[in-house]
Amino acid sequence: MSNFIELKNVNLYYSCLAYRETSIKAFVCKLLGFKQRPKTEDVHALKNVSLKVNAGERVGLIGHNGAGKSTLLKTIASLYPITTGEVNVSGDIRALFELSLGFELEATGRENILYRGLLLGKKPHEMRELQQEIIDFADIGELIDYPIKTYSAGMMVRLAFAISTAVSGEILLLDEVIGAGDSDFMVKAKKRIYSLIDNAKILVLTSHDMSAIRNMCNRVVVVNHGEIVFDGGVENAIKEYAKLGQVAYHTEG
Amino acid sequence: MSRFFIYIQKIYTTRYLWWNLALSDLRSKFRRSVLGMSWAVLQPLALTLLFTFVLGRIFDVNGSDYAPYVFSGIIVWEFIVSSANVGCHALLLAEGYIKQCTHPLAIYSLRIVCVALINLLLGFAGFILWVMLIKPGNIGWTWLSLLLSFPLIILLVWPLALITSFIGARFRDFSQLIVIVMQAVWYISPVFFQPEMFQRANISFLVDYNPIYHILNLIRMPTLYGEWPDMINLIYTVGTALVLWILAAILIIRQERKMIFYL
Repeated sequence: MSNFIELKNVNLYYSCLAYRETSIKAFVCKLLGFKQRPKTEDVHALKNVSLKVNAGERVGLIGHNGAGKSTLLKTIASLYPITTGEVNVSGDIRALFELSLGFELEATGRENILYRGLLLGKKPHEMRELQQEIIDFADIGELIDYPIKTYSAGMMVRLAFAISTAVSGEILLLDEVIGAGDSDFMVKAKKRIYSLIDNAKILVLTSHDMSAIRNMCNRVVVVNHGEIVFDGGVENAIKEYAKLGQVAYHTEG
Repeated sequence: MSRFFIYIQKIYTTRYLWWNLALSDLRSKFRRSVLGMSWAVLQPLALTLLFTFVLGRIFDVNGSDYAPYVFSGIIVWEFIVSSANVGCHALLLAEGYIKQCTHPLAIYSLRIVCVALINLLLGFAGFILWVMLIKPGNIGWTWLSLLLSFPLIILLVWPLALITSFIGARFRDFSQLIVIVMQAVWYISPVFFQPEMFQRANISFLVDYNPIYHILNLIRMPTLYGEWPDMINLIYTVGTALVLWILAAILIIRQERKMIFYL
C-alpha cells in the first residue's frame, strides 16, 4: 500500500478549559459569585484545513510563530483530537517533536536509550543492537552510564536526536529539528537528517530556515492564522510568505 | 467494540515500554539505598511492630496472631493506596511521552500499578514465610484461591489508578485531596483494626459494606485461617472492580484524546 497523508476539512479547537484556572480556589470563587477573569474562548487553531500529501513529496510548512505549523504537524501525527474533519494517514510515522522531553531523569543515558526506543515501538533486543551506534553518534562518552539529570541541555538534545533518528520511518515529521546542538554536531545531524529523508517516503517539516526549506523540500505550504494560505512550489511559496510579512509590517506600522 | 479491542491490543504491544518504565521507577526508588528492595518488607514490618505493640495492648489481643494480621493488611493497603496516590501523577510524569506518541494513556497508570505490585509481592513473600513458620497447619488447598485473588485485586487497583491519573492531570488539587480521602478510608477499614473491634463499637457496617475489608479477606482467609474466602468477599471485590472499570472506561472514551491539552 502506498503511503499518504490526507486531511479533510480539519478544524481543531484548543480547549479553553486547559488554560483557565481550574483550581478549587477558582471553583469556590465561582460558587460565591465573585468577579471572574474574562472568559477565555476556545482557540480555533486549525481552520478548515485540507491537505493531501502523496508518497515522494517533501513538504515544508512555513509561517510566523503561532501560525499553526506545529499544530498542523501534531495533528498529522494524530496527537491532537480534531473537532471536525478527517485525518487519514497510511504509513509508519516517525515524529521528531519536543526532543528534550521524555527522559527519565534518574535513569542513566544507557537506560534512556532503551526507554525511548521502546517508546518509538522498538523491541528491547533491537535497541541493544542500536545502542553503541547511538552512543557514538551522540558523542556522550563515559557519561552514558550516569543519570540523565547530570547531562547538559545540549547533551540531552544530542542523545534524544541520536535515538529518535536511529529508527527510520515511512513518514518523517520534523518540528524545527534542524538547529539542535552545537556546530560540530549540526554538521553530523544534517547529514543524518538527509539520509533519513532519503529513506522516508514522505517528509513534512517546519522551519524558519529558508535555505533548509529550499534544500529539502519540493513543495511548500504557507500557514497563517491556522489556515493554509498557499500550497505549491518552493520559490512561489517563499515569495508568498515574504508578502505576509510585509502585510503584517504595514498594518502594524 | 473494535475500538475497545484495538485499545487492549495497543496496551499489549506497548508492554515492553510500561514494564521497563516500571522497572526504572523501582530502580530509581532504591538507587543509592543500602537495604534496597528489602525495604518492601522492612517498612511494613516496622509499622506492624508499632501497631502490634500499641493496639495489641490497648485492645488486649494476642500479639502473635495480631502481628501477621496487621502485616497482611498493611502490604495490601499499601498497594492500593500507593497506586491511587502516585497514580495522580502518572500522566504528568509521562508528559514527555504523551506529547510524542499516541500510546494508550492507560499504560501510564499501569506502570505505577506495576511498581506497587512488585512492592506488594516482595512484602507478600515475606508474609508467606512468616505464616508458614508460625502456622504451618494453614498451608493447604485454600491457598490456591490466591491465584484468583491476586489478579482480581490487580484488576481492581488498575482502574483506580487510571481514574486518579486522569483526574490528577485535569485538576491539580486532586493529588492533595486523595491523600486525605485515602487516609480516612484507612481509619475506617480493618487494615490494622480487627472486625471484632468494629462490632464491639457497634459500627460493624463500616466493615460489612467496605470493599477494603472484602479485598483483605481474600488474602487473609487462606493464609491466616486456612479457610476459603467467603463468596461475599469475592462478590464485593468483583463488584468494586466493575464499578471502577465503568468509570475508567467513561474517562477513556470521553477524555483520553483531550488529556494532551491539560499537560
